[in-house]
Amino acid sequence: MKRVLSAAVLTLAAVLVGPLVPASAASYVPVSGSGSTWSANAMDQWRRNVNQYGMRIDYQASGSSDGRNQFRNGTVDFAVSEIPYGLKDGNVVDPLPSRPFAYMPIVAGGTAFMYNLKIGPNRVTQLRLSGDTIAKIFTGVITKWDDAAIKADNPGLTLPPIRVVPVVRSDGSGTTAQFTTWLASQYPDIWNAYCQKVGRGTPCGFTSNFPSSAGFVAQSGSLGVSGYVKQDQSVGAITYVEYSYAKAAGFPAVKVLNKAGYYVLPSAEAVAVGLLGARVNPDLTANLSGVYASSDKRAYPLSSYSYMVIPTSLDNGFSNEKGNTLADFANYFLCQGQQQADALGYSPLPINLVKSGFDQIKRIPGAVIENINLANCKNPTFSADGTNTLAKTAPQPPACDAKGPTQCGTAAEGGAAGGGSGGGSGGGSGGGSGGGTTSGGTTGGTSGGTTTGGGTTGGGTSGGAVTDVTVDGGGAAVVVDPETGQVIAADPVVDPTTGEVVVDPAAAAGAVTGGAYVAGIPVSTEASSGWGPYTGLLLATFIVVLALLFAPPLVARYMAARRSGGGA
Amino acid sequence: MATTFLPPRHEDDAASVEPRQLTTTRSQSDRLFRGGVSASGALVLLIMALVGIFLTIRALQALSQAGFSFITTQAWEPDGGNFGIAAVLSGTVLIALTAIFFAVPLSTGVALYISEYSPRKIRQTLISLVDLMAAVPSVVFGLWGFFFLQGQIIGLARWISTYFGWIPFFAVDGSDPDDPLSTATVFTSSTFIAGIVVALMVAPITTSVMREVFSQAPVGEREGAYALGATKWGMIRSVVLPFGRGGMIGGTMLGLGRALGETIAVFMIISPVFVFQPHILQNGTNSVSALIALRYGEATPFGTSALMAAGLALFIITLVVNFIASSIVSRSRSGAATDG
Repeated sequence: MKRVLSAAVLTLAAVLVGPLVPASAASYVPVSGSGSTWSANAMDQWRRNVNQYGMRIDYQASGSSDGRNQFRNGTVDFAVSEIPYGLKDGNVVDPLPSRPFAYMPIVAGGTAFMYNLKIGPNRVTQLRLSGDTIAKIFTGVITKWDDAAIKADNPGLTLPPIRVVPVVRSDGSGTTAQFTTWLASQYPDIWNAYCQKVGRGTPCGFTSNFPSSAGFVAQSGSLGVSGYVKQDQSVGAITYVEYSYAKAAGFPAVKVLNKAGYYVLPSAEAVAVGLLGARVNPDLTANLSGVYASSDKRAYPLSSYSYMVIPTSLDNGFSNEKGNTLADFANYFLCQGQQQADALGYSPLPINLVKSGFDQIKRIPGAVIENINLANCKNPTFSADGTNTLAKTAPQPPACDAKGPTQCGTAAEGGAAGGGSGGGSGGGSGGGSGGGTTSGGTTGGTSGGTTTGGGTTGGGTSGGAVTDVTVDGGGAAVVVDPETGQVIAADPVVDPTTGEVVVDPAAAAGAVTGGAYVAGIPVSTEASSGWGPYTGLLLATFIVVLALLFAPPLVARYMAARRSGGGA
Repeated sequence: MATTFLPPRHEDDAASVEPRQLTTTRSQSDRLFRGGVSASGALVLLIMALVGIFLTIRALQALSQAGFSFITTQAWEPDGGNFGIAAVLSGTVLIALTAIFFAVPLSTGVALYISEYSPRKIRQTLISLVDLMAAVPSVVFGLWGFFFLQGQIIGLARWISTYFGWIPFFAVDGSDPDDPLSTATVFTSSTFIAGIVVALMVAPITTSVMREVFSQAPVGEREGAYALGATKWGMIRSVVLPFGRGGMIGGTMLGLGRALGETIAVFMIISPVFVFQPHILQNGTNSVSALIALRYGEATPFGTSALMAAGLALFIITLVVNFIASSIVSRSRSGAATDG
């Protein structure tokens, strides 16, 4: 028994220690940082990835303002922020830290507008908004979803008179700073009027602390706002958050109107195209006005990148060993780490930013310069001729995404709620009703079963493929009138202009079970029948929790019984 | 061991009527122990005083600028010079009162059940479970409240506001019971929800104090009540509850002290607003500790000073509440056995 036990312990130890063995591990020391929640999803992924090389990177996603403050005070080795030091926020100029530092871009992404909106039982997944409308929503000018301005953006949707609930950040946040920078530069009138209303000085410019007012909800952190919006009772809520949070929550993001007149999602490609317009300052901070004004059809107007504030001296307890670790970590995420950016909901950095980032890494004390080599960099945007592969190959937006009376719809099949039966019934009903419309292949929520969507939903794979359906379907259906993907049970006819497919109750029910969820957003519907390590871990956790709950009282009783038994 | 010496009586001193002098010589270990215990006691007081002094010093900068308006201003923009605790302090008190409103009946019931009704076999288990509840980290309560309770409790909040909305406290702006599309978000992140979560966090401490005093109700009086023909409930009403009144009040006040200071669970649930919000069912409230948790990381030096001032106000209020609790407890009959 004892031997078996010790063998088990040894095996466990070997398993635990095994991955940490690589020779270089010895030289790595823990490095700590804090800051942005905007880029926290990417940071967390990279930290987990480099763990196998023996690097321990502690990162606390406490908001950009907090990160900059902590770096200034010397309590962390690096910070991540969306805005640089030295900007004037309200009455206060954010002071520069006394320790020498540099900015290094880490990942690009789009500030997305995640929303929770239902028409009847169906979740809206194709909402489109112009910048003007967004500005009015987040300044309390538009208070109902059936506002004329929102209707004008969404000719294919019959929006209900639900109250708009803007969800904003309550803590000091780089996401807020980016959003308000955009507001202040693009819609100064609306923004200044709001500032005046809430008692801030005008012109108020950007701010890290969004001034909340009546009817708004304020939550702390990106997880706080996205977690609030995704709850069932939050129908009508909309928030600004990095696209990865909407993706992770399985919720749709608004397609924002760009200057070329197209509504685009903050996909990796759209952000890459948008950032072609960014002017990079000598200190690597960005001037984004070119992004806001980008005239490319594919550009997402709220694209930006976030940067790491790195120390360039040995102040505040920074050591050469820490520098070495941080430099290798940076080297990893600027190159290999960027491959995961797209899947996470970010956009990989282009070559010019990586090059400049490399120059900054070399300034970190203790960095091993030989390791930093552009030739070995496996960044997905690199191409032979130096252009951004991602931006070059980015697909043109489908015609139905153009501003005008058409509106793309997608098969709202599958999704987390989906399962085989859901997809099947949705598809079946779609076949019946879809035939009645001219749009055929892209008939919204009900057509999945008959068209491209059928393959994906029927197979029960992830909704990620549905994104492609949108594009393909939209591209193919050039003639077609738009469709919304919305099934309205109240109206018994197929609406010829919007293509809203209306069906008999049975079909509607099918669409509800199969299509009440998000399309165009990858939703993990991984088959859960297998007994993977994850399930085992979950079970173990469950047992531990149960043991924690019941062990102390049971042990106490047992001991008491023994004591009294011995005494008697 | 302390040894007390009685000086020998001298017969020839019979004339003198002065009492004998008692001298106590303490042994080495006794002296050490006394010294150690006194030092610990003094240290607690010293630490409390130092916390208070530290807060005062750090708060002075903000307080001297704001002056009396610190108490009356609702906004919190220290860097703009416009800040005060009127909104956050009232929010704190409202959340704490809501918590106490739910926690006290719950605790009284649990304590009575454990001490009077529960089978002896499971009594110890129940006590351990209640104590275990106190050991659950507050962030867990916060997560539970934010992701689970909030969605479930909305129906109740809506019902109360629909039928009792004429009471100003329960009114909710923006809710219209006749409109099926009216948003449920007005009922989220409210004082009510934060209060319920805090109630669950203060219930264990209140329960343990109450259970302790109830179980100390004198057996003679209990038997006497039975002898006079009282039912069990009659005995509890006439003996246990009056005996335990001091402990109940003390436990409640201790719970109130904890409710006032509860930070992270409140922080996760509420949607901070900086106006006085008397509508407890409505979205948006605030509390001093949540404000500090929210803003200390990003505050400027002056903003930190303002936060310290808010902390000082909370510190004083909590101290006052706890002092009142102790004095009530120590004056009551059962209070001699428990300390508040």
